[in-house]
Amino acid sequence: MDLSFTPEQLALRGEVVKFARKELNAGLVERDHQQAFSREGWDKCAAMGIHGLPFPREHGGSGADVLTTMLAMEGLGYGCRDSGLIFAINAQMWAVQMPILNFGTEEQKRRYLPRLCGGEWIGAHGMTEPGSGSDSSALATTAVRRGHRWILNGTKTFVTNAPIADVFVVFATTDRARGFMGVTGFVVEKGAPGFHVGKPIEKMGLKTSPMAELVFEDCELPLDALLGEEGGGTRVFSSSMEWERGCLLASSLGAMERQLETCVDYATNRRQFNRPIGKFQSVANKIVDMKVRLETSRLLLYKLAWLKSAGGEAVIDAAIAKLHLSESWVQSCLDAIQIHGGYGYTTEFELERDLRDAIAGRIYSGTSEIQRNIIAAQLGL
Amino acid sequence: MTEIHDYVRMEFAPERASVAPDENLLAQGIVDSLGILKLVTFLEQRFGFEAADDDLVPENFSTLEMIRDFVERKRKP
Repeated sequence: MDLSFTPEQLALRGEVVKFARKELNAGLVERDHQQAFSREGWDKCAAMGIHGLPFPREHGGSGADVLTTMLAMEGLGYGCRDSGLIFAINAQMWAVQMPILNFGTEEQKRRYLPRLCGGEWIGAHGMTEPGSGSDSSALATTAVRRGHRWILNGTKTFVTNAPIADVFVVFATTDRARGFMGVTGFVVEKGAPGFHVGKPIEKMGLKTSPMAELVFEDCELPLDALLGEEGGGTRVFSSSMEWERGCLLASSLGAMERQLETCVDYATNRRQFNRPIGKFQSVANKIVDMKVRLETSRLLLYKLAWLKSAGGEAVIDAAIAKLHLSESWVQSCLDAIQIHGGYGYTTEFELERDLRDAIAGRIYSGTSEIQRNIIAAQLGL
Repeated sequence: MTEIHDYVRMEFAPERASVAPDENLLAQGIVDSLGILKLVTFLEQRFGFEAADDDLVPENFSTLEMIRDFVERKRKP
């Protein structure tokens, strides 16, 4: 396993950090309060090349490898405190662009990828349903072929980017006799007959990333809206999740590093009982634990990047990285608040927002419980 | 076949005495998306082969008979 970085990769990370600090953080406390998505930040990230990083040049991307992409996303998480914006970008990159790249037809790639990589269009991914969360075999949304049309009926929920999206990757059951293997992926454009987006869903954190339901009522799609093979939806979905689990958390890794530095700085400068609070073991130990979590998370994440670069299977590694990073991020947020005492509890210090944002990581892209189930299954348990 | 049957029954349908060879495991929800990970891991470890992404199709996993045929195909040199 080779986890060394080239000077070019490190320079790119540095550029992304510099860009994010300068362009993406203004007015964040207010935006979070108002649950406002920053289209301006989105456009700036697209112009910076973030959305298209690992995608081929002919489809509007930069053709970066996995390791470079993860390093850049880590830099974005380090420099940008707007985790909602980062989450929205990641949701599009890994669960919309990547499945279209890997499973789409040439026409789908030509139509969607340049617009998505360039930030012109926004994409959303709809899998979860009111009655089907972790259990994808229980999908109630159906797709029936009628003449030259697919007819979709059902509801998707917790769809990140839904209120602002132009194109959606969604999953429906086309053959119930095949169980979860009868699920099929589709690409749906805003304005398709019989399709509408519900009202935005309020949530605890990631407030700058909008979320809503998708409703399909005899929604008519052309036959070429199929994404991948009929019945191949589980493969499309699983592939997206493996990418998302790794790359989305790269940004959390960057945020963990930023938060650790904030805590070291605070513990060095804040004095109580005539000494810096970092001189008290109870405070220092918390910071040490944050550092250990950061470094173990980094190793797991870059091992995953290395495996994906080598084209290997990474089911268990993606699950381990997702579980460890998301749980570590939550615990480090709690520690950061505790180290800052009363200040940590205030909105002004922006640590409480980090905690609210971090908790989502234990739920999206497969809950911590599901990650443990996947790891157990891979161990033959 | 007996070994595969016993594994599937004990792991996914422990309340039942047996699973018929032609019973549709996917349609009945006996094997779900998480179960397939367990089943593939068991087959790979027990019969010494590696399943590819392309192998994960209903034609290979819908019934015990199909799983048996799939394992036999994978074990052929």
